[in-house]
Amino acid sequence: MSSMLLRWLNQYLVLISLLLILATFALAAENFLSFATFSAILNQLPALTLVTVGMTFVLICGGIDLSVGSVLALSSAVIGISVAAGFSIPVAALAGVTAGGLAGLVNGLLGSYLRLPVFIVTLGMLEAARGAAYLITDSQTVYIGSAIQGLVQPMSWLGLTPAFISALVIVVVAHFVLTSTVFGRHVIAVGTNPEAARISGIDPKRTLLVVLCLSGVLAGLAGLMNAAYLGSTDPNAGSGLELAAIAAAVIGGTSLMGGRGSIFSAFIGVLIIAVLQNGLAQIGVSEPFKRVVTGVVIVLAVVLDRWRADRSF
Amino acid sequence: MGLQISNLCKDYATPVLRNLDLQVTAGEIHGVVGENGAGKSTLLKILSGLTLPGAGTVVLDGEPLLTKNPQAAHRAGISLCSQELSLIDNLNVAENIGLRALPGRLGLDKALLATRCRSLLSELQLDLLPGTMVGSLNLAERQMVELAKTLNVQARLLLLDEPTSALNDQQAQALHRVLRERAKSGASVLYVSHRLNDVLNLCDYVWVLRDGEVVHHAPSGQLTTAELIRHMSGADALTQRRKDESGRPGPIHLSVRNLLTEKMQQPVSLDCHRGEIFGLAGLMGAGRTELLDAIYGLVPHSSGSVVLCRGEERIALSSVNAAIRSGVGMVPENRASHGIFAGLAVAFNTTIAELGRIATRHLLKPRREKAAVEKLIQRLNIKSEGVDQPIEALSGGNQQKVILARWLHRECSLLLLDEPTRGVDVAAKLAIHDLLRELRDQGLCVVIASSELQELLTLCDRIAVMSSGQLVRTFDRDEFNQDTILAAAFSTHNSAQVA
Repeated sequence: MSSMLLRWLNQYLVLISLLLILATFALAAENFLSFATFSAILNQLPALTLVTVGMTFVLICGGIDLSVGSVLALSSAVIGISVAAGFSIPVAALAGVTAGGLAGLVNGLLGSYLRLPVFIVTLGMLEAARGAAYLITDSQTVYIGSAIQGLVQPMSWLGLTPAFISALVIVVVAHFVLTSTVFGRHVIAVGTNPEAARISGIDPKRTLLVVLCLSGVLAGLAGLMNAAYLGSTDPNAGSGLELAAIAAAVIGGTSLMGGRGSIFSAFIGVLIIAVLQNGLAQIGVSEPFKRVVTGVVIVLAVVLDRWRADRSF
Repeated sequence: MGLQISNLCKDYATPVLRNLDLQVTAGEIHGVVGENGAGKSTLLKILSGLTLPGAGTVVLDGEPLLTKNPQAAHRAGISLCSQELSLIDNLNVAENIGLRALPGRLGLDKALLATRCRSLLSELQLDLLPGTMVGSLNLAERQMVELAKTLNVQARLLLLDEPTSALNDQQAQALHRVLRERAKSGASVLYVSHRLNDVLNLCDYVWVLRDGEVVHHAPSGQLTTAELIRHMSGADALTQRRKDESGRPGPIHLSVRNLLTEKMQQPVSLDCHRGEIFGLAGLMGAGRTELLDAIYGLVPHSSGSVVLCRGEERIALSSVNAAIRSGVGMVPENRASHGIFAGLAVAFNTTIAELGRIATRHLLKPRREKAAVEKLIQRLNIKSEGVDQPIEALSGGNQQKVILARWLHRECSLLLLDEPTRGVDVAAKLAIHDLLRELRDQGLCVVIASSELQELLTLCDRIAVMSSGQLVRTFDRDEFNQDTILAAAFSTHNSAQVA
């Protein structure tokens, strides 16, 4: 009986942690448990959620993508100048997402076919894409206007924005792709043991390439979400986002060594980070202290995960 | 004097050692045999401080031995060569061998290190330069370096866990000579191995373990391999398999012509038939693995061709994907690093090479997968708690069966196997042999490389012998025996010495 309980605890450890954090804030802050708080938290999330989905795929495949924050900025910069040049919002959005995908493609080609370490390649892209974002916007904020903000207007009956709902749909689809498709199996196999994958007929290079492209496209989409949220494009947008995404993935139990992770759990990791940020702000914790707490939570998550891995036999 | 173990117990989830009693007289070599899971490795782990016993006492040379950790065991004069190699790729041979006691006060005394290393290497008849990086060595050479590392310290108790699993007969004999010398100078030696002939030839005394207990022990002179197998398995029915008669081979299926890769020294040509088990024999470094890798397309061909014949159709293979698409399967030499997907379920490991059969338009069908895998588990008699059990929880033999199941799931017509029974217990080994015969009888073409000559002699219809990267001769069943094959394996070495 107790082993059943333990197994259940193991499986839902991340979710239980989220609920515990929520409960703590509900007790500590009077107005925390309110519709307004939740819709505020959730509606901030689309960009981080999308980037985390891409990051989780890359991490499970045994790579890492440090460029996502800069690619987000590049994508939103492309959207900004496209709108400024007179293109319609959908065309501009497509251009932004394409820019993200191309950045991912470059990462993938260099990382898999030239066999350069993905860490270094995406570190280079982190600088290059950020630089490109500054260049094409002349380091200025580009105003887009209210047309794009429809994405982030809460729909009256739910309090949720179209941006958040589409991010949620992408989470569900990505989870399904990872757990229930041939491609998902290939990603896990390559991340677990690339040599055994090759001997089993899976092309590790191509798999990594696809996954890095996917991460680029999702960072591009995140750029669109970010532009909609701000109503303008800021070349500084998304700086440090790659670390938040890695943190969310890791809190969700993704292994940095590849092979292990879950999109749903990574999404709960996103929620944990967001709830912490908002909850701590509500109880009046200072910004520096918030960062200390977030750091502790990340490490704690890995400790818990290690503990879980050791007992899951 | 020597080693006395009494009432040693150890539990993990289930008892692994139950009141184990075992004595080794100083100056003697004692063999420990048993199927996987009998408790051999746990015994060595306790003695070398890698894990703590649940109960029981260990006395070494009259003093009670408490090995809390590997450092304590090392100070007590215990040296272990474990089954999993522990070499550091980025250090050279000499540095790896000397790692436990690097000479020199402030700086590293490289000259002294190299001298010591050379004498050890020559003792073991290992033809390696001390300055070679370990990362560039093949598995057999690594195992020899690991052994040299174990023998480098002045040990009162030497523990060896499957020390010859990657070695050929010649190499194993060099090791045995060194072990006998160490025993003569007063060390106690505990030798764990699945190679029963080696155990009987080398050891003074043999202990048979089953389910964590000693079920039989006797001087090796009073034992035969058949008896050992009977005690290990606990079943009387399991006796040495007869050499079965050669099947009637079908048409040529694999045709290799003048194949050359960067790693191979000489172009190789050979033909293998359907309905045939084709063996690759040779000494360490003879190029068996390199040849199999080249056939499978793991390394690009610099010249020559690998052709698969299907009726009138001729399919040239040049890459792994081309090979797999055409019905070739591979069981790699190194199960842990190239074979299994650790941490993932038995089902994942079984179906990964052919997901199309359990998917509809890229969508996996879990029920179909479960049914397919359960069928294979039953067919190969894989001992697991179910399709969802992580593969690393299985014994070595069962892991290997899963990798074979992977290719049965895929349904291949040519199966390449590199050391398929290394580190596998006797029962699983016989089961794997039976399976290969069954596949042969179904018309598959099976190519198997092994450093264990006995295995090839009992299993193969034809045996090709490689020596120094060349294929020297191919023997039919009525031509091969231990002597003819060994002579061929050494043929290029002798001429090299003359030149």
